[in-house]
Amino acid sequence: MDFKLKRKSIKTPISGSLKETYPHDLQFYKVPPTCDINLQEFETLALERVTLLRTLATATTLKGLRLNSEEYTEYVLGELRTQGLKYYARLCEKSGCAETAADFEARRKDHIAHFILRLAYCRTEELRRWFVAREMELFKMRFAVMRGEAVDVFFKLNNLCYTNITDNEKNEIIHYLRECLPYQNIDNMKFYKVKFYEVLDLVKTRKVYLSGGYAYIPHRDFISVLSALYRTHLRQSLAIASQHLGEIEQDERLVSLLKGLHQSYSGNDYSETKSVVPIESLDSLSLKSFPLCMRQLHEQLRMAHHLKHGGRLQYGLFLKGIGVTLEDSLRFWRDEFTKIMELDKFEKQYAYNVRYNYGKEGSKRNYSPFTCLKIINTPVGPGDCHGCPYRHCDTSNLKNKLLGYGYDPQAVHEVVDLAKKGHYQIACSKYFDTVHNEDVGLGINHPNQYFEESQKIIKGGIKVEPKKEKVTIKKEEIDDLEGMDFDEPL
Amino acid sequence: MVGQHDENLLSDMLPIYYTRLFPQNIFCRWLTCGSYPHPVSNRELSFTLADDVYIRYLSINNQKDFQTLLQKKIPHKLDIGGVYNTKPSIARHDSVVLARELVFDIDLTDYDEIRTCCQEAKVCEKCWKFMVIACEIIDKALRDDFGFQNILWVFSGRRGIHCWVSDYEARTLDSPGRGAIADYMCLIMGGDNQNKKVNLGSDNIHTSIRRALNIIDQYFEQLLEEQGFISTADRLQTFLKIMPDENLKSQTEKVLAKMSEASLDRWKAFLNIYNNYYRENSNSSRKIKYLIEEIKIQYCYPRLDVNVTKGFNHLLKSPFSIHPKTGKVCVVFKPGNAKNMKLDEVPTIYSLLDDSSPDNAQHQVNMRVAVKNFQEVVFSLEKTEAMRRRNDARVANRSIATSPVDRGKAKI
Ligand code: SF4
Ligand SMILES: [Zn+2]
Repeated sequence: MDFKLKRKSIKTPISGSLKETYPHDLQFYKVPPTCDINLQEFETLALERVTLLRTLATATTLKGLRLNSEEYTEYVLGELRTQGLKYYARLCEKSGCAETAADFEARRKDHIAHFILRLAYCRTEELRRWFVAREMELFKMRFAVMRGEAVDVFFKLNNLCYTNITDNEKNEIIHYLRECLPYQNIDNMKFYKVKFYEVLDLVKTRKVYLSGGYAYIPHRDFISVLSALYRTHLRQSLAIASQHLGEIEQDERLVSLLKGLHQSYSGNDYSETKSVVPIESLDSLSLKSFPLCMRQLHEQLRMAHHLKHGGRLQYGLFLKGIGVTLEDSLRFWRDEFTKIMELDKFEKQYAYNVRYNYGKEGSKRNYSPFTCLKIINTPVGPGDCHGCPYRHCDTSNLKNKLLGYGYDPQAVHEVVDLAKKGHYQIACSKYFDTVHNEDVGLGINHPNQYFEESQKIIKGGIKVEPKKEKVTIKKEEIDDLEGMDFDEPL
Repeated sequence: MVGQHDENLLSDMLPIYYTRLFPQNIFCRWLTCGSYPHPVSNRELSFTLADDVYIRYLSINNQKDFQTLLQKKIPHKLDIGGVYNTKPSIARHDSVVLARELVFDIDLTDYDEIRTCCQEAKVCEKCWKFMVIACEIIDKALRDDFGFQNILWVFSGRRGIHCWVSDYEARTLDSPGRGAIADYMCLIMGGDNQNKKVNLGSDNIHTSIRRALNIIDQYFEQLLEEQGFISTADRLQTFLKIMPDENLKSQTEKVLAKMSEASLDRWKAFLNIYNNYYRENSNSSRKIKYLIEEIKIQYCYPRLDVNVTKGFNHLLKSPFSIHPKTGKVCVVFKPGNAKNMKLDEVPTIYSLLDDSSPDNAQHQVNMRVAVKNFQEVVFSLEKTEAMRRRNDARVANRSIATSPVDRGKAKI
């Protein structure tokens, strides 16, 4: 996969003609695109394909439509048109080999978008599974609507040659074929012989005749063979892509885009938690289970008994996310702050902020804890000690801090090195492994995710009690710090 | 009969058993051949020691290693796991199981809701017939449908049987593949809250199910009588709950409840009622089209522990290990001979090592037969493996000679 991003669009012609590159509406996505596209098109294509896949998910799960039933296809096509994704509607409607400029353009977008999403969805097993499931549905739908001639072309283009069994062979087993297959006109069908593991979905449901390790399938069951091939190919490609993420993530704009992509849809925003964490355990938790960004905020607060606004926001929302109640939170901040100020001052100037975080003041929105992306990309000013330490700390400071904690110099060196190269979240993951003395290699995109993963490992280190009552308030991310009503100027 | 089973004695007897009677040589050949192309040292063994200490990730390089390890640890239980990408003892987080026999585990405790002679750990000649049926049905499906040839059947030492498929294709099958085979073979579904556990629909009956029914028919009436599936009032009620049609159910109940308790008579009466009812009620006929077949399957078809089959890394008791609770040897048997197997003729470690035991002579013979059965399977496995490797080499040479095309599973 070779995406080169240019700030300004520089169109290098795709090698060979469009007709050679995109001869058919349906493709196996074997070869990655090598053209240059600008960031804006990159983003648009990615979002549009997420919308497409999301539509497919809605069709089967929310709408309960059976895959490839008439209602299903109708619903999907309708949705695509209303969402303005005409090129996907075009590709999904007939899957042919027409040669108009619009056809080529649709195929090109399909091709590029598929590869962008591979990058976004190769990160975790969960994401991979979701992505593969949707892409499979898409593939099956497009194959199902394909007409005879286009099918032949598709097979030829992909070098799929299967020879049907002879009439004699077929006559010998025709009795069994009739017994095993749910079709009426078996006599008129041509049959093909493939290994049983090429059509596992048919084996699983006992919808195929098996003999001596071979499955005998009619032409219409080839979708099973093709989707199995496609699935294997896709899974392997995703595994490879995830190993090469580091290279791609040199470009920060790409990182944020790709990570935000799935979070905009499926990510947990940690604004509601099921557990309760007592504030008495924060000291020990900060050593074992906090990511460095939160650990340093906690230490700063304990040491200076104060945090500036940005820090209070970042840390306060994080604490809410791990399960510190509003009451505890107020007590926590109050205990620290009143070491350097009068109680009255705290109540007047700071308590509001705390309640604000919990959606009890101001616009009463239930704010979500910040994602890594947001923390990394929010500028920090003098005197601030929030932000992401891998991004916002000088190399030497970071190094001294980690060495001061007593971690193995070799590991510290690796963390610092990753941070220096701009792989902030990978550095964070390395830190995670160092702290836990394990080789987990997490993909970290949220401080609260870091915390949860850590707790999973430590298990039993703290008591997690179920929360008794839960107030549901409309969730919203704080997108604009200026837009909030603060007591203290930023 | 066998002398009283005593677990304390085991620790003294096991070293002798492992040295003198355990077929170490053939066992190591089986493991080696079944691990290829990876070295046998990548294969996980696990031991359970006298005090229930459980050691995983053991491995051996050769027979000598194996003998040393057995003598050092004297395992009371000996299990076999998968083939890793590295030596399992140095397994790290990135070590993965690359291959593993396709295995099946059938245990009589899963039949407790239908067997009436014994429950739980108990087993007798009567309920052993369920195992015979299971073995015949699964063996046939593996050979005829999936084309597997190297299939090892092992008595689990107490109340069940294990099946190991060592064909290369089976060993390298991924999890979805194993899952698909397990599902293909699994016909009985639903928990305690579901009375009718088999649904064949109303289309044709699949060839493999038809074949299974033919096997069941050889045993059905005998089982029906011995187990008395529908003899007492309780059992009759359980049986009636399977009926998907209320009228058929009440008609059946009326007639059967008045009859004598003999299950076979009752069954024949039921068949009559059913046939008439089916003929006369074309509207409900779809629902009950295969009711007879469904009942037979519910009462006789193998009840697989599918998780064992689906899993890639399930540890399973080794052939010829000693069951720690019964002292019985996990003997290898021929699937065709399952029906002649007598449970009290299975050798135990006590009868084998005690020449004063009345069973000693017979059990020695039976042990030799079991080892011979094992040998036959291993020899044939070695032969197919050698052939497969030769073929692969030839294909590889040929594809170098021609063009290096993407060698996928399909003929691309
Ligand atoms: S990557 Fe995320 S969790 Fe780690 S330090 Fe940065 S912001 Fe905190
Ligand atoms: Zn019994």
